[in-house]
Amino acid sequence: MRFQIPIGPQHPALKEPIGLRITVEGEIIRDADIRLGYNHRGIEKLAEQKTWIQNIYLTERICGICSHSHTTCYVQGVEKLMELQPPKRGLYIRTLVAELERVHSHLLWLGVAGHEAGFDSFFMYTWRDREIVMDILERISGNRVHYGINTIGGVRRDLDELQVKYILDSLEILRKRSEYYKNLGTTEPSFVARLAGVGYLSKEDAIALCAVGPTLRASGVPMDVRKDDPYAVYDEVPFEVCTADTCDVLGRAVVRIKELFQSYNIIEYLLKNLPAGEIAVKAPRRAKPNEVVSRYEAPRGENIHYIKSNGTDKPERLKVRAPTLANYAATIKMLKNGFIADVPLIFAAIDPCICCAERAVAIVDARTGQEKVVPMNILKQISQKISANKERKREAEWPL
Amino acid sequence: MNDQALIDKANESLKDKVLAITNPAPRRIFLKVAVENLLEAVNWLKKDLGFTHLSTISGVDLGQSFEILYHFANNYCSFTIRTEIPRDNPQLPSICELIPGAILYERELQDMFGITIQNIPDPRPLLLPDDWPVGNYPLRKDWKYERPPEVIPGGKK
Repeated sequence: MRFQIPIGPQHPALKEPIGLRITVEGEIIRDADIRLGYNHRGIEKLAEQKTWIQNIYLTERICGICSHSHTTCYVQGVEKLMELQPPKRGLYIRTLVAELERVHSHLLWLGVAGHEAGFDSFFMYTWRDREIVMDILERISGNRVHYGINTIGGVRRDLDELQVKYILDSLEILRKRSEYYKNLGTTEPSFVARLAGVGYLSKEDAIALCAVGPTLRASGVPMDVRKDDPYAVYDEVPFEVCTADTCDVLGRAVVRIKELFQSYNIIEYLLKNLPAGEIAVKAPRRAKPNEVVSRYEAPRGENIHYIKSNGTDKPERLKVRAPTLANYAATIKMLKNGFIADVPLIFAAIDPCICCAERAVAIVDARTGQEKVVPMNILKQISQKISANKERKREAEWPL
Repeated sequence: MNDQALIDKANESLKDKVLAITNPAPRRIFLKVAVENLLEAVNWLKKDLGFTHLSTISGVDLGQSFEILYHFANNYCSFTIRTEIPRDNPQLPSICELIPGAILYERELQDMFGITIQNIPDPRPLLLPDDWPVGNYPLRKDWKYERPPEVIPGGKK
């Protein structure tokens, strides 16, 4: 018998509205379906009515965690349209904020993974240390979430000596703490046993379904926009692309922990080699008719903006594809044939309360194979009707 | 691999099916093909050049026609195949046979531009609500949003 369990779109256990419909047979997930659009805000349409500068602040509000990813992706595309070359120092600061954002996003993810795996002290530890990064970001930009540091042609705020020293000091603490998490997260047997083998996504599937970011890299594909298509200053900064070949949630955790250390190295390199000079150049109001494809490696994977200009001060078209959308097709694949208890882990950021979801049941007739969906009370009536005429075995014994 | 080698290969393999090929910036190539040759071009790009990753599909409303851009990427560059379809008969073949990960982007195109994707494995709406009025395609240029008049239940006091 197959049950269909709807989770969401509005659900006490979900942090964001998304419609999930999971078909289970016993404990095993046979099919999963995703319905999007509950949070669709029409940003692409709105962007066509706003000026180039206004759109920076609009794209910043696409996401609350990787807000800098979207502005950087947008801004570096617009700079190509306007034929601007931002100064080196501006690019260094832009990259610095990008890497700090990656650190805070990965620490957040690690915490959520710990929480979903039932390791809540890990969750509290990582989120406490995430505050260190948030404090650094606040020191640099004045804000904790929407940094508002990008502008067309550079960045809006400069760094001074005190800030550089503060970041380097904080980085030492973060390095030490991350070292501890690395040992804890990869050697603690119950944690590893919970993550290993869950949400398997083979290399072939990951490529075919166009997965991106740590999900793809954990399936052994070394694809990273920072390396493949270097933007900003990534062509001068030494770093490695982190991969894992276990193709499961453990691999995704390992990739993210490895990337944390790469990000610390990048941040240190950027601060020690920070060039002097201007941080921004003045941008014109209009852009000539042209088009550009801008790519960026967000903490969650490849982020791509396609921008088309028509000679006015507003874009003709702004197409945004955030990394999470690219990973949905792969997520459905991961969920299939897994256990229902693994849904929260695989869906990591989603914490569904399955037993309190309203339910409908699909009954497969064993003889004809036909499926029909009936609510629970009808099912109860059917079972009563069947059992009412049955002869009761008074002397039945427990078969043991 | 470099940009010029990719352009030469495109001209060599697709010959007169190449309507235009441009290289406006390093590591960015735009190839234009007719819609009948789209599947062949995608197949060639995937099989011969190893571009297996589809970043996204963008649609642009050009007034008389729609321009559809398929952004592919590999570990060297971003390769875009573009095609144009008439606005009064927007039909597009599905590339899900070749690139299974394209399904969500194709469903998005159907919702937002009202383009019919032929042979799409799953034609249900993805983003728009179930009670969305038929024939309203938000990313078409002539579609304007008008806020419905606010109705206060029970009337204003």
